[in-house]
Amino acid sequence: MNLVWKLLRQHISIPQFVGFFVANLVGMTIIMLGIQFYTDTQAIYETEDSFMKADYLIINKKISSMTTITGKSSAFTLPEVQDLESQEFVERLGTFTSSVFDVRASIRLDEKTSFSTEMFFESVPDEFVDVKSEEWNYEQGSREVPIILPRNYLDLYNFGYAQSRNMPKLSEGILSAISLKIELSGGGMRDEYEGRIVGFSSRLNTILVPQVFMDWANEYYAGTKTKSPTRLIVEVNNPTDERITTYLQDNSYETDKDKLDASKQTFLLRIIVAIVMAVGLVISILAFYILMLSVYLLVEKNSTKLENLLLIGYSPSKVSMPYQLLTIGLNLLVLVIAFVTMMLVRNVYMEMFESFFPNFETPSVMPAILTGAALFVVVSIFNVIAIKSKVMSIWKRKD
Amino acid sequence: MKEITLKHTLPKVFAQVADLQSEVWRHEVTFEKDRLYLVEANSGTGKSSLCSYIFGYRKDYEGQILFDGNDIARFSTSKWVRIRQTSLSLLWQELRLFPELTAMENVIIKNKLTNHQSQQQIETWFDQLGIADRMNAKIGRMSFGQQQRVALIRALCQPFDFIFVDEPISHLDDTNSRIVGELLMSEAHRQGAGVIVTSIGKHIELNYDKVLKL
Repeated sequence: MNLVWKLLRQHISIPQFVGFFVANLVGMTIIMLGIQFYTDTQAIYETEDSFMKADYLIINKKISSMTTITGKSSAFTLPEVQDLESQEFVERLGTFTSSVFDVRASIRLDEKTSFSTEMFFESVPDEFVDVKSEEWNYEQGSREVPIILPRNYLDLYNFGYAQSRNMPKLSEGILSAISLKIELSGGGMRDEYEGRIVGFSSRLNTILVPQVFMDWANEYYAGTKTKSPTRLIVEVNNPTDERITTYLQDNSYETDKDKLDASKQTFLLRIIVAIVMAVGLVISILAFYILMLSVYLLVEKNSTKLENLLLIGYSPSKVSMPYQLLTIGLNLLVLVIAFVTMMLVRNVYMEMFESFFPNFETPSVMPAILTGAALFVVVSIFNVIAIKSKVMSIWKRKD
Repeated sequence: MKEITLKHTLPKVFAQVADLQSEVWRHEVTFEKDRLYLVEANSGTGKSSLCSYIFGYRKDYEGQILFDGNDIARFSTSKWVRIRQTSLSLLWQELRLFPELTAMENVIIKNKLTNHQSQQQIETWFDQLGIADRMNAKIGRMSFGQQQRVALIRALCQPFDFIFVDEPISHLDDTNSRIVGELLMSEAHRQGAGVIVTSIGKHIELNYDKVLKL
């Protein structure tokens, strides 16, 4: 056995190191699990059209009997929009643009059945669209227009109309394959387009077309680009913020209350994860503290041996190394076991996730591994430096 | 390293002493390679301090100590490590052995660092010094006289330009003292090294080139 190690392992306190090991393991596991859980739930928010991603509020003016009678506009004026945008709780704001041309759409399901209806389009800036699809764009001149429908429409058809008329039920997939015939008219022009349903949105309760198409079509068929928006979409940083409710009440604006509740849940979930991770971090810091105390005590108890080793020609680095390797080894073991524990726990909850959200894509474990590795590196560097400086204090020996 | 010079060196604790009678402190003294010195001292005159200063272990002195004209106060850690491994050997009065290790392990822990002596040579020395049978005994279980001999073997397990032996035979009988003297001198001659022996009375009978009163 290495003689230096034989000397320096004297006075190693097993209970102290076990204490450090367990404490650090708990801390590290909590941190890694917290990050992984956060990553995994984040992936649920980002899963197409998730109910959880709801830091968006759609705001409109209250429509009362009085507005109907007096014909008072329900549109937002520019100062109103700017005022809302300048509020602290607002991260981003987008306006709904409505079509100012006529739209007529028809759909043929089979030989006998076809629908045809007057309708309208709306658009919001692309970053607010919750359906992520590569088809969500429009190139000028193209005769194909992507459309996003509210999920409610599909439910209304499937569980209302189709049920009562004994019609076939339609899945999202089938509908995406069906093309709609769309007729746009205005300014003396009339053109036919092919509409393609690229997704269904729970967030945006309207018939959406891409913003670029809307801007172009409004200009082309109605000679106007803008019309005061009647609805606004707002991304807020904290949906539980009371100022939102107050602001909306003061200005007689309305928003979907369910969304606000879902937002609160999301927000709470994030806070809980953050708290849990903070607790893990505190435990880890305390564990690190225990380790440093143990090592200091060990160096102190073995200071005569260390001094004699230095005096017979051992360098401070060489003398520090056994303790440095000991702490690095312990840290590494903690990292590995914490990772294994995290994966075991994750397997349990991922099964639940996957049963709740079938098209949920399993996210990578890299963020947790990287955080764990970063923590390992930082703690180990601190250990290495602290041990070396402790040995150097023996070398320098205060006379 | 060719010479060690003490330039008006004085332990700080002696700063207030007016009538200091010494041929070393406050003088300019040079130790040269290949020469043999005896530093005689009474208790409390700073004999072990002198060794500690030259070995870079303590710095509580005034004046200068120079190795080949370079002030040792400015040496870096790595330079001291190199000096302690290759230029300067010291047999401490308090020996500084590791009681947890055996006699042989105490020597090996040094020799592993320098790779200077063969295992066979080390065993021969143990034999010559009459402690071959104690090779595998824990240092803590050996007498001080036996420990002194182990410490000497350890001190020889490195290349050196100078070797300081601080009261090497205080607990040895005449026969063993003679063997220690022979061993020390033959190894020093082989390397052309300077030898500085300190003593507070009983000292090894050798042909000293210079005797200094501390």
